[in-house]
Amino acid sequence: MATSRSRSAPSLRKDGGPPFRRVLVANRGEIAVRIIRACHEAGMEVVAVYSDADAAARHVRLADAAVRIGPPPPTESYLRIDAIVEAAIASGADAIHPGYGFLAERAAFARAVEAAGLAFVGPSSTVIEALGDKLHARRLARDVGVPVVPGTLDPAAVDRPDRLVSILAEADRIGFPMLVKAAAGGGGRGMRRVATASELPAALAGGSREALSAFGDGSVYLEREIVPARHIEVQLLGDATGRVVAIGERDCSLQRRHQKLVEEAPAPGLTADERRHLHDLAVRVAAAAGLQNAATAEFLRSPDGTCSFLEVNTRLQVEHGITELVSGLDLVREQLSLAAGRPLSAEALAAASRAADPAGHAIEVRITAEDPARDFTPTPGRVRHWVMPAGPGVRVDTALEAGDRVPPEYDNLIAKIMVHAGSRAAAIDRLRRALDETEIAGVQTSLPFHRFVARDASFADATLSTGWVGERWDGPAAIRRAARLGLLAAGLDALDADQATARAVGASPLPATSVPGAASADGRWARSGRAAAGDRWPR
Amino acid sequence: MSPDRPVVRIVDPRAVRVALGPAMGELDVAPIVLSPPAVPLVAAPPVAGTGVLGGVAETPALMMPPGDTADVVLVDDGPATLRFWRVDERHAVLIEGPGDGAARHPVIMLPLEPTAGPAIGLARREVVVDGWRIEVEIESERRASLRDRARRGREATAHDGPTEVRAIIPGRVVAVSIVPGDSVVAGQQLLVVEAMKMQNELRAPRDGVIASVAVGPGRTIEVGDLLLVLE
Repeated sequence: MATSRSRSAPSLRKDGGPPFRRVLVANRGEIAVRIIRACHEAGMEVVAVYSDADAAARHVRLADAAVRIGPPPPTESYLRIDAIVEAAIASGADAIHPGYGFLAERAAFARAVEAAGLAFVGPSSTVIEALGDKLHARRLARDVGVPVVPGTLDPAAVDRPDRLVSILAEADRIGFPMLVKAAAGGGGRGMRRVATASELPAALAGGSREALSAFGDGSVYLEREIVPARHIEVQLLGDATGRVVAIGERDCSLQRRHQKLVEEAPAPGLTADERRHLHDLAVRVAAAAGLQNAATAEFLRSPDGTCSFLEVNTRLQVEHGITELVSGLDLVREQLSLAAGRPLSAEALAAASRAADPAGHAIEVRITAEDPARDFTPTPGRVRHWVMPAGPGVRVDTALEAGDRVPPEYDNLIAKIMVHAGSRAAAIDRLRRALDETEIAGVQTSLPFHRFVARDASFADATLSTGWVGERWDGPAAIRRAARLGLLAAGLDALDADQATARAVGASPLPATSVPGAASADGRWARSGRAAAGDRWPR
Repeated sequence: MSPDRPVVRIVDPRAVRVALGPAMGELDVAPIVLSPPAVPLVAAPPVAGTGVLGGVAETPALMMPPGDTADVVLVDDGPATLRFWRVDERHAVLIEGPGDGAARHPVIMLPLEPTAGPAIGLARREVVVDGWRIEVEIESERRASLRDRARRGREATAHDGPTEVRAIIPGRVVAVSIVPGDSVVAGQQLLVVEAMKMQNELRAPRDGVIASVAVGPGRTIEVGDLLLVLE
């Protein structure tokens, strides 16, 4: 069970000291590490939970105590409400931070945590219910006069074939192309794009099945697909006094299969007035729902500047870090303070007052275990080589190290590389530099795509839309270029390995564990290459 | 080259053939053959104050494009200006093209375990170029061309057989939409595999009849596992 390391108790500060004594982090991967860091900085102990796939994971090593909660499948570990609440009680934690994904937006989880007398670091179960149900949130936004994306306001009866006719009639009213979306959804799971009425039944069934598997709730609804559109979201914080503030917005338009790949803060090209207007719409929805703690309101922005409400995510977002970079606010620490019942901090209020005038520009790219040449299919496996960028204005949130496995059971996000600079142009320069420093081998990742983005003129022009990736990115062409260079490099390496090895390739196998040529520093090609490189590299 | 009169080529014993590994799937990048220049570049006499490149530049070597100072290697029998620098056990730099216009490509190169089966004489590498993970196989061109000839002989007598459909991603089978005996058309959904919380639909690669199904719902699969046989 729980093992505990002693850590000297932090002294009380003027702000009343740490909000909690011990926090259980009900998550894994980079977000668990991120939360553990905030807890340790605020002088709190951390209890990690882990499945058998993560027994030696970084979040387990960083925590003060760790509790095993089951075998690798999420339904038997990170989605087990009973096991996690029990682990919190047994380890003496007084609060649970859910991170994002897994149980973060399950009202039942928040309710179980509240019922156990523990603090849930996030909005209350009632707010999660009100805003986490995408359909309820859409009705709520409409009621407070915030424009919503056209679509249904009730779940589609996917399990009732006799209702298909009325669903199709509804679909005709909304207009194609449309999206089937999971009422309990997020991250593109359970989502299907439907171009014609004939595709609708299969999309409803497929979306519902995926939603049931991902969220335990198969309810789906229909929503018009707005193209071209930018995806802009507003970071919100609320406290027990009913005060809700916006900390700034993020542009998350670069998506693939409705999963975000690149995010930036602030959203480029908006005037301060447009920012304030958008922040105001978001605050209105959140205040109507009685938001406490952190949430994010998502909007689609049409080319004419109209913003339509999409949904509210009642959790910390993956991309919260870029808002931290431009606002100077530690959102996780603020979440912990709010969860302890404290009012919005002076820092949070100051950040809110500057929300329409952020400090510089930040960009995040999500390095995922996905193959950008094959439609971003998952590529779990073992990381054999891992070098993350550093230096001025670079922040990397990851839980991975060389030799670690990317398990197939969980999310494919393996690192978030964030850059911060005085302007958007400088941030892009910095991103390009940071990604050039990044080295990953063993698993294919989205890195080539991000390097392309960092060099693409239309990204530099901020010509962004949710269709950008499909229009601009040609993964197969990019990998073909790289493959030819890879063949040349491997061939030159083999030729360069001393003449004896080159002759022996046919007679005896090259040793698979050592690379020919690596040790023979005086091969012909090595010599000339070194000389050439020496000429262009100042020493 | 006509099929009934194969051209017999004199293969440089030092030549190597480099091809993509099987894990690279359907990527249509042809294997390449690299060999040192047919006529070795004359070793330049040491010139004070110049390095190897300086020496080569002053040597009127055959195969060297005029005015070039870089090294020339034969790629598929054509001269190419390439330099390769092994920095350490993992890092290397490939410099492509002559002079100041040369493109510099940092690469990561790691050994890979040999695949099971008749892979004697085959070296495998993982080369990462511009973030792309490329698996390559290197062997002597002499050996590869012999093997090619043997395979062509076999193929002449072969006929269309059943297609084994194998897993291209690891994950868990969540739905099987076909049973043995079903006729399917190209593009029809056969299985749904869940990996990293995404549901991936596996579609028929061609028209045919399902001969057998090797997996059922709930089954965990690895890359390369047999899923079904299509006739």
